[in-house]
Amino acid sequence: MRAYPYLAEVLADKYDVDEDKIRPEATLADLGLDSLMVVEFLFDVEDEFDIEVPDDRAEFETLDEAATLIDELIEAKGD
Amino acid sequence: MGRRVFITGLGLIAPHGEDPESVFDRIYQGDSAVRMVRSGTVDFGSDLPLATADFTPKDRIPKTQQLFMARASQMAVVAAEGALQSSGLFGVGQEGPEDGEIGVYMGCGLGGAEILQEGYRTYFVRQSRRGRPSTVPMIMASGPASHISMRFGLHGPTHTYSIACASSTVAIGEAFRAIRDGYLDTALSGGAEAMLNDGSIAAWERLGVLASSHTDGPEASSRPFDLERTGFVLGEGAALLVLEAESALQERAVDPIAEIIGYGVSSDAFSLTEPHAAGQEAAMRSAITDADIEREEVQYVNAHATGTPSGDPIEIEAIKSIFEDHASNLAVSSTKSVHGHLVGASGALETAISAIALQKGRIPPTANLTHPDPSCDLDCVPEYGREAPELTVAISNSFAFGGSNATLVLRKV
Repeated sequence: MRAYPYLAEVLADKYDVDEDKIRPEATLADLGLDSLMVVEFLFDVEDEFDIEVPDDRAEFETLDEAATLIDELIEAKGD
Repeated sequence: MGRRVFITGLGLIAPHGEDPESVFDRIYQGDSAVRMVRSGTVDFGSDLPLATADFTPKDRIPKTQQLFMARASQMAVVAAEGALQSSGLFGVGQEGPEDGEIGVYMGCGLGGAEILQEGYRTYFVRQSRRGRPSTVPMIMASGPASHISMRFGLHGPTHTYSIACASSTVAIGEAFRAIRDGYLDTALSGGAEAMLNDGSIAAWERLGVLASSHTDGPEASSRPFDLERTGFVLGEGAALLVLEAESALQERAVDPIAEIIGYGVSSDAFSLTEPHAAGQEAAMRSAITDADIEREEVQYVNAHATGTPSGDPIEIEAIKSIFEDHASNLAVSSTKSVHGHLVGASGALETAISAIALQKGRIPPTANLTHPDPSCDLDCVPEYGREAPELTVAISNSFAFGGSNATLVLRKV
């Protein structure tokens, strides 16, 4: 799980999400992110890890699912 | 005759600060907010006189909202809050009134200039097509108006006028008309501009209209009507006015700052950048007719005069042309001498200054006017402000690139 700590950190720092609410099973909607914020959040993640989340794979629900997807993409990139 | 319209609140993010009273006092004292600023990087930049606003939103805007707001929008929202508070309409943390609709009429020339610059940097410098997704909604010139509407829950019309240097004068004029003609009772109106990013400044520099620093220092760079003027000093900021119909005022105890009584616009149909006396005269004439006053009732002109060699004499010519013999009785000053040219926010700041001038009976000066240009031979209130307890009617001019001219007429309450 390389991505999860970064996701948690950026949600708390940039998106001002209450740290107590940031749990693997939480969805971005649960955390108060609207559609523009979700797109921006994915951009942050892509920028951080130098990956691209394909549109057809951006359908994750929970933070845990998002972190798993991002880990796969990092791995596929071969770093 | 329609309904009377009053200015009941002011909120500023200005080069001189945020408190309207102290901003006015500094302008009245001829205290320049212009400083030498390094634009761009150490190697690839330029030092030039600018009128920056010492502004950060801090905790006045929730962090997650700030993320999606360009600097102009942040300034607009904080200035709007100040205007609403000073009008007594509602305070921090309160929702807007549930009954009745409040309109938002804003002027903005460029929008999220620094966000656009960052987008282009990503594309051209980083050679990446993956810029910030929020670039689009952040660069809109309508951003400041939209954010004010959302932040304060205002459900009336949310309009943006992007007419270069005349943007916010037109915005206030159109809000004035909407209230006077009964389309709404209350509006937040003004302008916001923040384009002191290095890419924008480089373009302005190439246009050859910016002031170079004066031998007396950068503070003396903005010199409307003066023989040693070299151009204008770019500034940034936001100025918001609460406008209310007389009927709305009667429902609560509030002392208006001034009354707006007339508004006139015209187009030069002449040049993209050159001013034109006939068009300027037409705007002033239309505004005075709209106010239903005699031209001899006007005592003070807050001039557009930016300090360019070509522009200032044209405005003087236009003023002489419309006022004829009365022109020599007028006080004509350019407060841009101390706060610079805020472009899309300029007209709103100058309308606010004119309103306070009427309220206080004090005419602000044209600072740095030490060597008057003979072609600007009216009373341009050189250097020192003036007590004018009899001051009753003032006009504020804004003339834009593209040939759009706008004038507002204000009266003491």
